[in-house]
Amino acid sequence: MKRVATYCYQCVAGPDLLTVKVCDGVPTEVEPNFAAAAVHPGGGKICVKAYGLVQKMAHPDRILRPMKRTNPKKGRNEDPGFVPVSWDEALELISEKLNGIRKKGLLDESGYPRVAASFGGGGTPQSYMGSLPAFLAAWGPIDMGFGSGQGVKCYHSEHLYGEFWHRGFTVSPDTPLTKYLISCGANVEASGGVAGVWRHAEARARGMKRVQVEPHLSVTGACSAEWLPIKPKTDAAFLFGLIHVMLHESPRERLDLEFLFRHTSSPYLVGAHGFYLRDPSTKQPLLHSALEGKTKVRAVEIGPDDEVLAEGELEGETAFSKLVAHMKAYSPEWAQQICDLNAATIRRIATEYLEAASVGETIEIEGKRLPYRPVAVSLGKTVTNGWGGYECCWARTLLAALVGALEVPGGILGTTVRLNRPMSERHKSVTPGPDGFMHYPLNPTSREAWSARPNIRNAYRSMVPLAADGAWSQALGPTHFSWMFLDGTPEGLPKVTLPEVWFVYRTNPAISFWDTDNLAERMARFPFTVAFAFTRDETNHFADVLLPDALDLESLQLIRIGGTKFIEQFWDHEGFALRQPAAAPRGEARDMTDVATALAERTGLLGPYNAAINKGALGLPLKDFSLETTRVYKCEEIWDAACKAASAELTRGAEMHGLDWWKEKGYATRPFPRTAWYLFPTLAAQGLRFEMPYQERLARIGAELEKRLHEKGMHWWDKQLTEYQALPAWKDFPGVWEGGLVAMGGKPEDYPFWLLTSRSMQYAWGANVGMQMIKEVADNIAGHRGVIINTKKADTLGIRDGQWVNIATPKASVRARAVLRQGIRPDTLLLLGQFGHWATPVAKDFEMPSMNKLSAMSLELTDATGSGADIVRVSVRKAA
Amino acid sequence: MVADLRRCVGCQTCTAACKQANGTPPGVQWRRVLDLETGEYPEVKRAFVPVGCMHCDDPPCMHVCPSTATRKRPDGIVTIDYDLCIGCGYCMVACPYEARAKVDGVATKCTFCVDRIDAGLANGLKPGVDPEATPACVNSCIAKALHFGDADDPQSNLSGLLAENQSFRLSEDLETGPNIFYLWDKAL
Amino acid sequence: MTSLQRYWDARAALNFILGGSGAGLIIAAAFIHPASPWPVAAGLAFIATGLFAVWLETGRKLRALHVLFNPFTSWMTREAFAALVLFPVGLGAFLTLKFLPVAAVLALVFLWCQARILRASRGIPAWRVAQVVPLIIAAGFAEGASLAVVLVQTPLAAALLAIALIARLIAWSAYRGEVKSEALEGAGRALQLGAIAALVLIGAGFYFTQAALPAAVLAGVVTLASGWWLKFTLVTRAAFTQGFSLPRQPVRGTR
Repeated sequence: MKRVATYCYQCVAGPDLLTVKVCDGVPTEVEPNFAAAAVHPGGGKICVKAYGLVQKMAHPDRILRPMKRTNPKKGRNEDPGFVPVSWDEALELISEKLNGIRKKGLLDESGYPRVAASFGGGGTPQSYMGSLPAFLAAWGPIDMGFGSGQGVKCYHSEHLYGEFWHRGFTVSPDTPLTKYLISCGANVEASGGVAGVWRHAEARARGMKRVQVEPHLSVTGACSAEWLPIKPKTDAAFLFGLIHVMLHESPRERLDLEFLFRHTSSPYLVGAHGFYLRDPSTKQPLLHSALEGKTKVRAVEIGPDDEVLAEGELEGETAFSKLVAHMKAYSPEWAQQICDLNAATIRRIATEYLEAASVGETIEIEGKRLPYRPVAVSLGKTVTNGWGGYECCWARTLLAALVGALEVPGGILGTTVRLNRPMSERHKSVTPGPDGFMHYPLNPTSREAWSARPNIRNAYRSMVPLAADGAWSQALGPTHFSWMFLDGTPEGLPKVTLPEVWFVYRTNPAISFWDTDNLAERMARFPFTVAFAFTRDETNHFADVLLPDALDLESLQLIRIGGTKFIEQFWDHEGFALRQPAAAPRGEARDMTDVATALAERTGLLGPYNAAINKGALGLPLKDFSLETTRVYKCEEIWDAACKAASAELTRGAEMHGLDWWKEKGYATRPFPRTAWYLFPTLAAQGLRFEMPYQERLARIGAELEKRLHEKGMHWWDKQLTEYQALPAWKDFPGVWEGGLVAMGGKPEDYPFWLLTSRSMQYAWGANVGMQMIKEVADNIAGHRGVIINTKKADTLGIRDGQWVNIATPKASVRARAVLRQGIRPDTLLLLGQFGHWATPVAKDFEMPSMNKLSAMSLELTDATGSGADIVRVSVRKAA
Repeated sequence: MVADLRRCVGCQTCTAACKQANGTPPGVQWRRVLDLETGEYPEVKRAFVPVGCMHCDDPPCMHVCPSTATRKRPDGIVTIDYDLCIGCGYCMVACPYEARAKVDGVATKCTFCVDRIDAGLANGLKPGVDPEATPACVNSCIAKALHFGDADDPQSNLSGLLAENQSFRLSEDLETGPNIFYLWDKAL
Repeated sequence: MTSLQRYWDARAALNFILGGSGAGLIIAAAFIHPASPWPVAAGLAFIATGLFAVWLETGRKLRALHVLFNPFTSWMTREAFAALVLFPVGLGAFLTLKFLPVAAVLALVFLWCQARILRASRGIPAWRVAQVVPLIIAAGFAEGASLAVVLVQTPLAAALLAIALIARLIAWSAYRGEVKSEALEGAGRALQLGAIAALVLIGAGFYFTQAALPAAVLAGVVTLASGWWLKFTLVTRAAFTQGFSLPRQPVRGTR
């Protein structure tokens, strides 16, 4: 028996480190890598999903040979007629298409890339796809904007606004130090991975109070001190109510006035038109000498497109005063009417938060004295995306700023950047931008620089300035547009076309996105789809070629670990971990790196491919260990070079261990300073301020974008443009989805339930739905066998536990078994996860539907960042 | 064994780890975590409760076993001798904790990974402290909710936890002396 | 394919049904005049069939003798020993009726063991109460007397049945006072109604003597059916464990 060290990155909350017991060459058992307990933030443990990996390799329905489609007709009810072919034939089929495209030109008549690629799981496939990114980089333009869940299933507004305000693509409480946490729908016990579960358990043990604000009693709600069953999509009203109490009902000195004055835009003077008053010569914003008040100064007020709106002796009011006035109307009594939580409760929570904030206290970390503000607000899916996402993210960040709990010990932290560069070093992305704030790579909205011709089909560069233009931006635009506009491109955009070749890896949009039936129908029109396939599934049902890739425990890759990454993955260490084969791949499955190399070779791109590897496509530049650009390397040789480069990077050149050393050790780290968790000192050192509370820059780009669009006759984005407000106001967010129902031809009173979804710890991101063992253990948790309905409400409808019910919108309906529980609002239904499979082995027999079939894809339900939310109005009735 | 209900999140990692370590067939879970709701909306509480064989002080399963296959070791672990068991299923109905299932003709249940403990002890390791001598479920727990050790040793990790916290056992009124202690609050 | 079982099924229930009735019949045989060997033979056959059924339920059939290994605490072992002694003695009683009283006592021991098997099942609230013992014994008497009525068709047997039925009614109401199980609702009601109907039939037989025998036989059939249904339900359907409930809710972070 031997133990093979490797990693699991099946969910965004990874990676976690494990060992695989191998007996006589057969992997039998996975275990935590106990040796990693000292460096890993979750005690070196692995979660339930990793325990499915051995079974995954042995899956009886696994695809073990390349296959090609023989039935040219594509459709859900068409048998693809897959037949086995050799790797050579499969690669030839693909390279023939690709070489044809290279001859014709990489862009089509609309200017969109002819090749598209979709990867799922919030970036997790990158930890499994070997050197495929180098092939993609070598290829040139590729449309990676065909979404499979992004926007509607992610923390979309948090990603964009969070990164804008504090480099928080994902935002986390400083759980090791936080004392008081308001969690609006964040399900860290289901989606926070091992580190999240571990840290929150530790936090509870030391007495952290967590208040869970959510329409149903989730696992996280269960593990919280208090559960507040809020009406769906009204979180912004609740948060506004808290802010009102802090600004209008609490002594001013309870706030961190020093922080607000010195480190935020609070003292900036705002002119009559809502823009900052600026020094007439330097054009820099003018600051008031106090946090609050009005004053007259010699100034200029500059609006969109540099238009001078006023000049001379101008009256300005501080941004903070504007905020105070803005929040006046949002009293707890007002909020109670909207979010169905008691005004007294809202007041109590605000007071508890203020008390716990410990304004004025400091803490010493690694010899540095830093502010200590152990209060945080975390936001979950459906709160941080779709309409209302901006308002919630703004309110959350403001709640931190008001007590100085932004990016300081105990407060809220951004844990990763994906839109700013460099991605692996959050602090280095902090550079001076305009007006004393951080730079942010907004997509330009000026008349000269605005991108009138989108580079890809979802038009993120034209429509969403905050999406930026980096490697991740394509996936953070309105990724449903690529699908939606296939049936009619709106005014002003080049006609959206089908990609000629579509690559799919570790993603299944045919069940995971919105409006899945229509999506599948569009997918069927794609002329040539190449799917890396573990088993058959709903997306590769429409594929032309299936390629069996070596699975998690069969293939080779080195990734970065530690530092600060997604969710709760902020470590006291940083380094690299190796994923290595615990056994040879089954059947003819091949390592992704070898597949990528073969594709590069067959398309004549070997030189650029190796060059991309050398430059950093594996996650680190190879520098002294670079590959020769003309040679074909084996997978082991490529990763051997990466291992050496990693060793050298970790030890500043002192060591250069190759693959064999890393296979033995599994991972290597060096200490990562805890002070690097906190961005505040970095901003302060550069004299930069947090762009809170007043959003002059956003209001400006919104106004400019409006002009650009209108200049091209594009008025279909007007509703989205209303999101760009300097101080966001409450809008009737639930009403947006009631409107969606009306647009479908329904009346809200006939469809009185809010259908929500929630992540399942056992499945989230794991692509493990076909694993019998996972299903078996997941079923121990309520909601994996059907739709959760409030017991009393079900009683009034004559619905008994276990009975079949129909959940319907005017356009579609699904069947589910009723699961009666007390822990859910009577007006809410919950369908866990996203099932509804019809092709995936094992999962297709679950008889478990998904809300994705019911949610309509529409412009009306798309916010300014291009995201929607997992919520839909439905009816529920006993099934016949 | 100690299960800290304040920490447990019902993730079923222990369930999966147990299934894998012990090779239990589909539908058989020697360790599992219950999802229990109490109260009425909106005053509802939900708790996650790891259950399995409680290795009772006075195990009813052992008393009813006609073949003496079920025994209790001096260290307290209740075992089943698969070579003696006739698979009458009497122990299944005698156990108040739904811990047993008849699989391929013989009664099966949690063994506290007794082979692992014995192998660990033979190598001088301490159960509950060294992973190599600790049940798979405890090793796997991602919330530090499950602990294993010798409750009779006042110096053990387990004794410390029981002294520092308030605990209960399930269905204590049946007087079987179950040996999974559930922590629910700090000691007064 | 792996086989998996969590509860006792009809095969175990048959042991309680046939074993109880058979033992009751042997006991009843001791009171019947003129004494007859045939009820003893029938009783033994019933018990044997019941034991055969439960043997079918065991997972490792060739190890059947292991059932004898734990006479110190297991009522199942004791039941097996009781059967082991009962069969030769019962056979003796069949050949010469002077062994009949001993056989009857052994049958009572067997019945007692069966009742204690259920009572020792601490996992199942519907079984583990003390009141299950008189219920199983009284039910065994009643079923045995019913079979005796059918077999020998004498007024004395009918009178015995009437007494056993009253005992069963009392035992049931005592049991019901302790165990509230929805699963037993239907079978319990049938048991009571069956007993009342049987008593009425037997009573009617005293007044309408020409119909006494058919009425007694019918009463026996009703008693048997209601008793068997109850045992079947008790063993297979009411075998719920108590489930899990928490005496305390965990404190999450703060109270």
